[in-house]
Amino acid sequence: MDQKLQELWGEVMEEKKQCKGCGGALPFLIGFVAAVIAGWVLFPNLLYSKKVQPVRFSHKIHQEQGMECDSCHAFRDDGSYAGLPKNEKCQECHADVVGSDPAEKVYVEQYGQKGKEVPWLIYQKQPDNVFFSHNAHKEIECGKCHLDVGKTDTPPVYYENRLSGYSKQTMKMWQCERCHAEKAVSNACHVCHK
Amino acid sequence: MGLDRRGFVKIVVGGVAGTLFTPVIWKSLDDVSIWSQNWPWIPRLNTGEVKAKAALSKLCPAGCAVKVKTVGGLPFAVAGNTANPMSKGGVCPVCAAGAQLMYSPARVKSPLKKVGEGKFEAIKWEDAEALLVEKLGVLKGQAGKIAAISGDETGTAGEVISGLLGGLGNAGYYMMPSEKFVAEKGVKLMGGSGQPGFDIAGADLVLMIGADALDSWGPTVANQKAFAATRPTGAAATAKFVYAGPVLNHTAAVSDKFLPVPPQATAAFALGLANLLIGAGAVSSASDFAEYKALAAKHTVEEVEKATGLKAESMKELAALIRAAKAPLVIAGASFGQGAGALDFVAGASLNVLLGRVGGGMTLLPAAPRAVGGVGASDKDAASFLAEVSTGKAAPGALIVYAANPAYALPQADDMAKALGNIAFKVSFSTYMDETAALCDLILPAPHPFERYDDVLNPYGVAKPTYLVGAPVVKKPVMDCKDPVDVLLGAAGKLGLTLGFETYADVIKAKAKALGADFDALAAGGIWNGEPKGGALNLGASALAKVAPVTLDSKTLALAPMSNQAYGSATLATPPANLLAVRNTELLGKDLFVQMSADTAKKAGVAEGAKVKLSAGKGEMKARVHLNEGVAPGTVAVLMGFGRSAWDEFTKGKGDNVYKILTVSDEAGTGLKVWAGSTVTVAKI
Ligand code: SF4
Repeated sequence: MDQKLQELWGEVMEEKKQCKGCGGALPFLIGFVAAVIAGWVLFPNLLYSKKVQPVRFSHKIHQEQGMECDSCHAFRDDGSYAGLPKNEKCQECHADVVGSDPAEKVYVEQYGQKGKEVPWLIYQKQPDNVFFSHNAHKEIECGKCHLDVGKTDTPPVYYENRLSGYSKQTMKMWQCERCHAEKAVSNACHVCHK
Repeated sequence: MGLDRRGFVKIVVGGVAGTLFTPVIWKSLDDVSIWSQNWPWIPRLNTGEVKAKAALSKLCPAGCAVKVKTVGGLPFAVAGNTANPMSKGGVCPVCAAGAQLMYSPARVKSPLKKVGEGKFEAIKWEDAEALLVEKLGVLKGQAGKIAAISGDETGTAGEVISGLLGGLGNAGYYMMPSEKFVAEKGVKLMGGSGQPGFDIAGADLVLMIGADALDSWGPTVANQKAFAATRPTGAAATAKFVYAGPVLNHTAAVSDKFLPVPPQATAAFALGLANLLIGAGAVSSASDFAEYKALAAKHTVEEVEKATGLKAESMKELAALIRAAKAPLVIAGASFGQGAGALDFVAGASLNVLLGRVGGGMTLLPAAPRAVGGVGASDKDAASFLAEVSTGKAAPGALIVYAANPAYALPQADDMAKALGNIAFKVSFSTYMDETAALCDLILPAPHPFERYDDVLNPYGVAKPTYLVGAPVVKKPVMDCKDPVDVLLGAAGKLGLTLGFETYADVIKAKAKALGADFDALAAGGIWNGEPKGGALNLGASALAKVAPVTLDSKTLALAPMSNQAYGSATLATPPANLLAVRNTELLGKDLFVQMSADTAKKAGVAEGAKVKLSAGKGEMKARVHLNEGVAPGTVAVLMGFGRSAWDEFTKGKGDNVYKILTVSDEAGTGLKVWAGSTVTVAKI
C-alpha cells in the first residue's frame, strides 16, 4: 500500500514539474488575444461578401452633365424614398448607346433593351416594414447615413452580410433608436413601423 | 516545452473569454435574428416612383374618369380625377378596389378551352384565335347562326361586334337589359327619339321614382357630386332630393324625403302625383294633355293609397314641394337598374313634360356618329333572345359574349344558363371567371379596364353628349390577355372581312375624330361634351292608358331587388376588400338575409332570423329574414350580387342569387319584357 501511494505521489509531482513549463496564464492570454484579433479583424472580413454593382454607374459623369440628384432619385409625397430609378427613367437618355463608356453599353444591351430592370445593390436598404421619411431627417447631413457616392466614377464596393443578407451600411434599429433618444424624438413602434 | 492538455484547455478558455470581447457572438446573434425574419415567401413591396395616371374605369356601366396610382409602374390604388368635370375627383367603392381587382384570383389567366364539364385547359393565344375563326367561319353567311350578347352599352366595341356580325351575315347583337334600353323606348312612346338625359346639377328638386340615382342609377359618381354640391358645409341645402321607391336604400337614406312605394306601383304613384299637380293648376301645351289629364284623374289620392300604402297627406306634401320648386326634375327607373317597363319610365318622364322641364332638366341626346359601319344593337334584349333560344325559336350555333354575364344576371337565371347550353359554341371575352365564362367552350381573357384602351359614350343619365377615353396605365397586362376588340378585328381579317381597323385604339381614335374630340386630351383624363338636341315630347297618354292596375295578392309579396354598389354588379362579384362592408344583417356565414317590415313578416308568417324559401316561376332561393322598417309594405327586399357559383374563394357560394326568382312578364302595349314588378311567395323552411 505504501508503495502504491508513493508511486501516485511521484506521478503528481512529475506533472507539476511539466506544467511549470506551460507558463501559468500564458496560454490563456494567447487564446484571449488570438480570439480578440480574430473577432475584430478576421470575423468582419469573413462576415461580408464583396459585390460590385451590375453596371458601373458613374455619378460623376451624370453630375457633369448638369443633372441633379432629384433628376433620377424621387421621393414620395410622404418623404419616403421611392427607390432607384427604373429603366423608364434611364431610357429617357439611354434607349441606345449614346457615349463611349463600355459600362453604358452593358446597361443598354443587357438591361434596357431587354426590358430587364438593373438589380442595383442598395447600400442603405431597409426592410419593407420600416417607414423612413427623408423629409423628417433633412436637417441631418447626408453623409451621416449614406456613402458619398455623388462624386464617384465607380460605385463603392457593396458588402453583403452573409447571415442577414443586408448591406453593411444598412442602419440597424438600435442606431435609429439611439439617435432618436439623443434628439428626444419618440421611439414608439409606430413612428417607424406603419 | 510542449502543449499539454491543460495548456490547450487554457488557450481554449482564453479564446472563449477573448471572443466575448469581440462582436462575433453579439453580431452573429443579431444577424441571425434578422435572417430569420426574411423568408423568401414574404411578399416584397415594389419600389419606384409613385405616379397617378389618368384612366377610365368601366368596372360598372357608368364609366368614370379616375386616377390610378402606380408605384414603379404597378397599380396599387385608385383615386378620383379632380380635373375631370364629370366625376370631379369622386370614385365609388367598386373602383376604390379597382387596382386590387387587377390581381384578383378570379382573373382568367390565359385562354382556356373547355375539355369537359367544368374543366378547362390553358391553350396558346394563336390556337384560341384559330378556334374562334374556325367556328365563326363554318357559320359565316348563315343568318341567325351567330349571335352576340354584350353588357357594354357605352363602348365603341359594340360597333365592332355588330359590324363583325353584319359581315358574317348576322344581325343578332343583343344588349344585356338596362335602363337606357327601356328609356329610349319610353321616349319613342312620347313622340320623341334618342337617349334621355337628366340634369341633376341644375335642378332644385329631384324626385327619384325607383331610380337609385346616388348608388346604382346612371353616372352615380357624377350624381353624388351633384348632390354633394347642393349641401354646402355650414349653409342651407340648395336643392331637395326625394326618393320614392321600395326600399330605404343609400339614395333614400340621404334624401330629404323617402316615400315607400312598392315596385309594381311606381307608374300609379307618378300618375297620382300628376293628378295632384294638374288639380293645383299645372297645364301642358302637349297635344295629348286632355287625354293625360283624364287618365291622371283616375289616380286619386285614395287610389294611390290603395296601390302604394302612401297616405294622402304625403302625396299632397310632395306635390306642394314640387310646385314650390323652380327647377324640379323627375327621374324614373327600376330600383335595381333593369327590368322596369317603358310605361314606368313614361309615367315619370311625363311629369317633366307637365312641369315644362323637357329641354331644361330632362334632355334628349342626339345620335352619335359611328366609327364602324353597320347597324347597332337588336331591338330585343339578351333576356328576350335567350328566352327564344330556350324555346328553339332562335337557334344560333355560335355565341360571342362580351362584358356580360347572362348566366347570372338575367331573370330566371338558371333557365338562362340552361338556354346557353343549347348553343353549340360559346366564347366569352371575360376578365374574370364568371358564371357565364364557366359555361363557355372558349374563354378569352380580356384585360382589366386599367390595362386597355376603351371609351364611354353617353353613359345613361348624362344631361349632354359625353365622351370619355381611357388608355392603359400599365405596359403589360397582369395576365396573358388580349383586347377582345383586337382579337375580333384579327378574326374579321382572317374571315375575309374588312372593318377598316386593326386595333381598338384605332377604332377609338376614329370615334373621337367623328365626334370632333381630341383623342390625346381625352386619354389624358379629359372629357368631350356636345349639346343636347332640342325637341318636344308629348305626355305619352296613349301609352299610359295601358298601365295595368295594381293588383294586390295576399299570397305573394312584391320583390324588390336591392343594389349596393359596393357589393359589385352583374359583371363583377363583390371585390374582396368590400366584403368587409357587408353587414351581418345582410349576410351571415353563407346565409343571405331578405328584408321586410315587421308587418309584412307577420302577414307572411315569418319572424326575424327565420329561414325561408322564396319562389317564383321555376326559380327559388333560400335566405333568412331580417326585419327592416325601411322596406315598403307588402314587399321583400333582396340584396343583389350574392350567390355566385364561379369567381373566387371570397365570393363563391355566399348567399343566393335574386335573379333566379325574378319573373318576366309582357308589358301591355309596348312589347317589352319586364320584371321589375316580380312577385314571390315566401315560405318558412
Ligand atoms: S361608378 Fe364606380 S365602378 Fe362605376 S365606373 Fe364609376 S367609379 Fe368605377
